[in-house]
Amino acid sequence: MNSVWARLTQEQCRQLHNASLEILERTGVRLFNDEALALVREAGAKVTDGNRVRFPARLVDQALSTAPKSVTLHDRMGRPVMPLEGANTFFGPGSDCLNIIDHRTGERRRPVLQDVVEATRVCDALKEMSFVMSMFLPADVPQDIADRYQFQAMLHNTIKPIVFVTYETAGCVDAIAMAEAVAGGADALRERPFVACYINVTTGLLHNADALEKLLFLAGAGLPALYIPVVSGGTTGPVTMAGGLALSNAGVLVGLVISQLKREGAPVVIPGFGGDALDLRTMVDPYCGPDPRGMAQALAHFYQLPMFSLGGASESKLVDQQASIEAALDMLINALCGGHIMHDCGYLESGLTGSLTQLAICNEVVSWIRHACQPVEISAETLALDVIDQVGPDGQFLKLPHTRRHMRERWYPILFDRDNYNGWLAKGGGRTLAERAAEQVSQILASHQCEPLGPAVAEAVRRIVLRAEAQLGREPLAPASGGSYA
Amino acid sequence: MHEEQFNAMRQSIVDGAPEHASELASKALELGIAPLEAINKGFVPGLTHIGEQFRLGEVFLPDLVMAGEAMKAAVAVLEPEMQKRGTQREILGKVVLGTVKGDIHEIGKTLVSTLLSASGFQVFDLGVDVPVERFAEKAREVQADIVGVSALLTTTMQGQKSVVEALDRHGLRPKVKVIVGGAPVTRDWAEKIGADGYGQDAMAAVAIARSLLHK
Repeated sequence: MNSVWARLTQEQCRQLHNASLEILERTGVRLFNDEALALVREAGAKVTDGNRVRFPARLVDQALSTAPKSVTLHDRMGRPVMPLEGANTFFGPGSDCLNIIDHRTGERRRPVLQDVVEATRVCDALKEMSFVMSMFLPADVPQDIADRYQFQAMLHNTIKPIVFVTYETAGCVDAIAMAEAVAGGADALRERPFVACYINVTTGLLHNADALEKLLFLAGAGLPALYIPVVSGGTTGPVTMAGGLALSNAGVLVGLVISQLKREGAPVVIPGFGGDALDLRTMVDPYCGPDPRGMAQALAHFYQLPMFSLGGASESKLVDQQASIEAALDMLINALCGGHIMHDCGYLESGLTGSLTQLAICNEVVSWIRHACQPVEISAETLALDVIDQVGPDGQFLKLPHTRRHMRERWYPILFDRDNYNGWLAKGGGRTLAERAAEQVSQILASHQCEPLGPAVAEAVRRIVLRAEAQLGREPLAPASGGSYA
Repeated sequence: MHEEQFNAMRQSIVDGAPEHASELASKALELGIAPLEAINKGFVPGLTHIGEQFRLGEVFLPDLVMAGEAMKAAVAVLEPEMQKRGTQREILGKVVLGTVKGDIHEIGKTLVSTLLSASGFQVFDLGVDVPVERFAEKAREVQADIVGVSALLTTTMQGQKSVVEALDRHGLRPKVKVIVGGAPVTRDWAEKIGADGYGQDAMAAVAIARSLLHK
């Protein structure tokens, strides 16, 4: 894209920033981790009541001056594919849905590991999905270490960058160990990171032990951390958007300070969403309400920091009209606002259900958005004045080399129907968008396979999963080889 | 024998390259390939392929048009030699084509003309804004098998009905079949005015022309 639509003015961003600074100095936050407490105390923060921390503004200024303005995620082959900066936008799925709507049957059921495998393969094949998350929480693996299985499945089934979530710090450590095995060591992974950990923080004012541990671990290793405090307006924060965002942003700044104290220049990705509120009628956490759109992105651009944003979710229970409309509007506005990593394509039921059919529809919408937002070339070749003169008033352009040279630059749908009525009936019997999307998913699953992991790497990854199993004191359940993931 | 040549001919049609197709046609004659064989084994499979790809949405209309142009260019080189030898490509039928009176839209009609002639029909293209009687006169003159009437506007498609009526008046029906096409035209409309066939695009027009003549 050429530029970014800013929902907030620079002055409003300064106001929000100052508000967050005031929250940090006046109200303070609680940190549930001793190392983090020691680091901030040493740096000059005021610690009272054991773990209540008030930060002077200079600590925040210092952190903002050393945090990298750009982070580039690589693919599994070590190629830089996602430079998180400026107006660059990248879409992908969300993570850990508790339900799946099976694209084959339409049934809503508990997902299993094979669903993670399939979702990953579909993301790997869909052109506009730039990264992968584990769309589903598999019910058929030991739940305490499901995150290891998810990560292993993703490593086997995509070469695209992976944004991962783990329950506890041990899961994060194991994921990084697996990623290092794939990248060829810790230095290689740091130089060309192809994974990034998504850390949920309890609220802007409560920083839980696991979140801080993961942040410190990743900062220490020089690996990208997505530090995302969650504030729900009306319950864990003010119901007003400005207050909610000021509060969550205070928590974001805490994460920045701690990561930079741990290791100056450690890559941190901040949220490109915030200011949300629960639906106070149903107590559902809506994923794509209109009100806060663009605020957090504007703030992240104000800081010039890479961000983890939203795009493509719906509150609908089905792949229906609401799902299409919400996903499309959400992706379009978040793209216009310049979100960098935009997750949650394929989400239904406010993040509780995932659908590969919906994911394929989102992919189509993203391709539309890309064409609607891409810069326009004005040149002698595209103005085509010589061609116009050659054809004149009496000719036509169908047979010109110029036409054939450029006609494929335009957007052509894969799923959206543009046939005439009889053609639509003839090609597949007049199917709906969802039916066509489900068929695309089936075709991908029948044909697409990414570059496999080498056998030695697959074995190293498998050993890490087995080790986690052993620590649980259970029989190893990992397959004898990576085969069942292929 | 000459497999490489036939493949190159086929490819020149797929590429939509009239000059190349015409060169290959000349070369085929130099090599002693019978002109009919060059058409049937070399160029026609290219056109068949591109037509299928077009139906599947893999190639675009300009690709199809240029494939048709390349076919015409090749046939133009080979035809004199066929006449010399007293052989000729089987003519599937004679078609009189035009855009109806009051309508000057020509792209769709010309495309149908290109593809019909590339497919082996002999086409008499009357152009655009063609008076109703002219269709009937030309059909009688050339002993046409099919008359094709194009209309792009809802206001001018009435003229398609008039052409059917004129052919009736001239006693040419039902021997002469009528096919109609154009953006507003539907199968229902074709049936209503007593036309024999309707195609939603140029490829369909070729298929319908073939089926009306049982070819």
